[in-house]
Amino acid sequence: MKFLGWKQIVLAIAGFTLIILALIVAKAIPAEALRQVIEKALTKPSGWRNILQESTPLILLGCSVFLALKVGLFNIGADGQFVIGACAAVVVALNVPGPIAIPLSILAGILGGALWAYPVGLIKAYRGGHEVITTIMLNNIAAFFTFYLVSGPIKDPTSQQPSTASISTAAELPNLYEKLPFKLNSSILFAIVCVIGLWWYLKKTVGGYEISATGENTNVARFAGINVNRIIVRTMSASGAIAGLAGALQVLAFEHRFYGNFSPGYGFDALGVALLASSNPLGILASGLLFGTISESTSVLSRTGVPKGLSYILLGVLVIVFAAYRYRKEAQSGTDS
Amino acid sequence: MELILNLLAAPGSNVVVTLLLSTLAYSSPLILGALAGLFSERSGVVNIGLEGKMLAAACATAFVGQASANPLIGLVAGIVTATIFSILHWVLTQVYKIDHIISGMGINAIALGGTSLIAKTYLDISEKEMPTFPVAIYYIAAWVAAVTVWYLLKTTRPGLRLFAVGNNPDKSRQMGLKPLVIRFQALLATGLLTGLAGALIATNAGKFSEDMTSGRGYIALAALILGGWKPWPTLAAAVAFGFFGSLQLILQGQNSSIPGQFWQALPYLITLVALAGMVGKNRAPAGLGQP
Amino acid sequence: MRAITKIFGNVIALDNVDLTVQTGHIHAIVGENGAGKTTLMKVLYGAHSATTGEYKLGENSQRFKNPEAAIAAGVGMVSQHYAIIPELTCLQNLLLGAEPGLVINQAQAIERAEQLATQMGFKFNWNQNAEELSPGQAQKLEILKLLWRNAKILILDEPTAMLAPEDADLLYAKLHELTQTGATVLVVTHRLPDVMEHCDEVTVLRGGKLIYTGPVSQTNPTELAEKMIGISMTEHSPTQSSPGDTILTVKNATVKGEKGEDAVKNISFELKSGELVGIAGVDGNGQRELFHALMGLKPSAGEFLLSDQNLSSLSTQQRIQVGIRLVAEDRHDEAVIERWTIAENAILGLQRTPGILKGKSIDRAQQTNLANTVTQLFPTRFDHINQPFRDLSGGNQQKVVVARALQQDPKVILAFQPTRGIDLYVADLVYQGLIKATREGATVLVVSFDLDELMTYCDRILVMNHGVLKEVPNSLRSDRQAIGRMMVGADE
Repeated sequence: MKFLGWKQIVLAIAGFTLIILALIVAKAIPAEALRQVIEKALTKPSGWRNILQESTPLILLGCSVFLALKVGLFNIGADGQFVIGACAAVVVALNVPGPIAIPLSILAGILGGALWAYPVGLIKAYRGGHEVITTIMLNNIAAFFTFYLVSGPIKDPTSQQPSTASISTAAELPNLYEKLPFKLNSSILFAIVCVIGLWWYLKKTVGGYEISATGENTNVARFAGINVNRIIVRTMSASGAIAGLAGALQVLAFEHRFYGNFSPGYGFDALGVALLASSNPLGILASGLLFGTISESTSVLSRTGVPKGLSYILLGVLVIVFAAYRYRKEAQSGTDS
Repeated sequence: MELILNLLAAPGSNVVVTLLLSTLAYSSPLILGALAGLFSERSGVVNIGLEGKMLAAACATAFVGQASANPLIGLVAGIVTATIFSILHWVLTQVYKIDHIISGMGINAIALGGTSLIAKTYLDISEKEMPTFPVAIYYIAAWVAAVTVWYLLKTTRPGLRLFAVGNNPDKSRQMGLKPLVIRFQALLATGLLTGLAGALIATNAGKFSEDMTSGRGYIALAALILGGWKPWPTLAAAVAFGFFGSLQLILQGQNSSIPGQFWQALPYLITLVALAGMVGKNRAPAGLGQP
Repeated sequence: MRAITKIFGNVIALDNVDLTVQTGHIHAIVGENGAGKTTLMKVLYGAHSATTGEYKLGENSQRFKNPEAAIAAGVGMVSQHYAIIPELTCLQNLLLGAEPGLVINQAQAIERAEQLATQMGFKFNWNQNAEELSPGQAQKLEILKLLWRNAKILILDEPTAMLAPEDADLLYAKLHELTQTGATVLVVTHRLPDVMEHCDEVTVLRGGKLIYTGPVSQTNPTELAEKMIGISMTEHSPTQSSPGDTILTVKNATVKGEKGEDAVKNISFELKSGELVGIAGVDGNGQRELFHALMGLKPSAGEFLLSDQNLSSLSTQQRIQVGIRLVAEDRHDEAVIERWTIAENAILGLQRTPGILKGKSIDRAQQTNLANTVTQLFPTRFDHINQPFRDLSGGNQQKVVVARALQQDPKVILAFQPTRGIDLYVADLVYQGLIKATREGATVLVVSFDLDELMTYCDRILVMNHGVLKEVPNSLRSDRQAIGRMMVGADE
């Protein structure tokens, strides 16, 4: 029983070399970079704050992608659903007074995200259009559409930037704990509940069982009496709803407004979070935190002159190496047949 | 490209000619990208990594060109870079059997990160003037490539084998074909064409800037899908997208009531509607993504 | 071929087999499933390499590393699973892998293809997509592919499995003509009538060992059958069934096939409690469509009643809940998820039946019980119910699939080729299991392409031909020839 074959080891070494190479290209000294990361990101309360803040949307988006993967779909569109959810939440928060703004905004975010994912499921189930293509299209449409909104219809007239006004403090999600510079926002609770809920649904309920069956083989699922098309549409919408929730929380907890190019490209990160969680939804918490840590670490490095592009390289390498490892594991358990 | 546009914007020039020429300018990288995708996907390898390959090629063409002050060395660097990424995609999907979409996304991320890293670190090089070939060469290359691909698929042995492997790798293997080798060759072609596409994008701008392909790899992929993975319809879709792109540019200058974002989103919207409407299930190569 | 031994893992598939084939003969290789027939042919063709042994072609010692080398030396094989790519045209399929030059001259290629086809008496529309070919036509195209590659030794694996009898006769006639021109044909089959009628020589394999080889004229079917099976089979006599109430009623059912044709044409029948009914017929005569319609997987016209309940408006899930079960035809793509564990697969399809479903959750204890039951019903070799399903051998997988259909109070069990890929001993167990279910009040409808199997076990036999269903009258119940004629519509 070997977990890693030589091929996987070669790939991991190649990936590691690529990262070192990237640091050298960026004229940084790898050891010095590591010291910076440990000092400023991993051992300081402000670093912890940022890691938790970064991890919150990543965990939620990881849930979104994870759920879609279970039914056999790559939700590359979590990014677009996130943006639409955030935009919808801001519109509601700006127009509804007082404390009810919070639940209504969250609801708006969920609906917005679900709505943006609904056609993806429909096209996949009834037309066979590949979800990766439709979600890429919808991501771009979401980006252009919201950019148009914040540079016109819902633009804050006093702002120079394409951005909405800030939401009122009553509509902001409160912090759970605050000892500056450390802060922990209550939105992390949503993320944790979401992960546990996902775990329960997928592992315990018949609905989860049927989603998994559909994801493994739609034809077998059909023969097992599962309404495959309906499950695909519903699961994709639910996946979008979670991404929309992430968008709403991002606004209510951290950003407090919506602006052009709102997402820093979460789509790929979310795919990575879901893949690294492997088959267990609870793993999303860990992989979300890991990705949050990477994000914060590269932010720290960018202040010392190593461009933020490094984080993409890191994530790309991580996802590829992990995918190679995972597929090997699967291939191994099938060698008897 | 700016040169051409400026030239055409000069008084007396015809709007139709302007539109035609700028369509040519806009569509050429899309044509090259879509044909690159055609090779890859016809052989059965899903390729959402076109964007990353084009971006990497643009970066290499610009920086190596600027550093060496030689347009040929720049172009070769661009093509080599795209080909390396293409071979990487082959290794990951065919040797490591990683899901094609994950591999493509990973390559896009590495290309985006890597080029951004270089662009931000070597500002001094990007200040230099970029030596270029006339863009017309690239336009001609795009159309020649289209005709070549059509001929190749229609009447030649490599074309038939590419088609067979993409549709049914197992049965092709039974017939003595080697899917892995054929895919490797297909991905070399993908590398060459994405390399040209990236070089053209960099040449048009006269320098490299971060994320300068701005989704054109994805639009090329959309053109391929709209075109049903067939050479002529794919070419038509790429030209149509190019036409909308240039239309947007002209209309933007006229202060029209339709926002510019609408025109930018239009190719995506059309593809989406087409997928929802008519593009049937059976048009994609049947063996897409299979080992 | 001399002293061929092939070892897979710790299974000896071929044990010291010698084979001599004479030029210009049709040589049959017969044996039961798993006797090593196909393996031997694949060794010859270079698809498998022999563990030990050698073979000679003419005077030269040969050992093909791969099929390409074999075909270059003039040895070609049509395997049971045709290597025809449906998206390509007939001509493209013909050429693939042996194209005449870098640039293909369409006109010249068609000319030569036409020549070969005429020689064999076949007719093709060369620019037609291969997906439109019937199984018989596909078979013919496969043979042309070998001729295109100038094969002198043709290996055909179960060539008549998908063909109607008259097509099969025609095929053999053409093969004879080929042998006249110096070709040699090796036919792998388990149909003895084919051997007796059409072949020159026969070799019998059993359990990987050579049992007999010699001219067909010096043997007879009874002797061959005994050599194939070893011990002479004890004839199974169905214990007299006592049919009870009508459970399933089908009236005027019409089902459309894949291409929109009427695959099932206005058929009616009844199934009674306690009986095992077989549907005989050549593959592709509407059996599949009928089963899919009964499961609610395909829309259909007509009336379907379970006792008095109208099934037409019920979904597949609801039909499972009222007691209809299907043993699906294609295990990998219809019945199980091989990556899943045995336990997970044990409830697949039954996930919403009472007992398994508790509230919205799956009752894990019940699931474990069920998994134990389905693996014990027929002795299944496995380590643990939580091991991946794909670790089971094909035969063991099939046992679990059949056993699963017998769980959770079934009323109607539809079994499509339930003994596919399993040996005679286990096939017998499977039928005993099905019969036991009928004793408990269920009714079983079996589709099989093996008429002998149906004649052995079924209480009644129906015949399906071109979508039309007929019952075999009691007087003809044990007349193999008569039923065979009904299967091909030659009974009028």
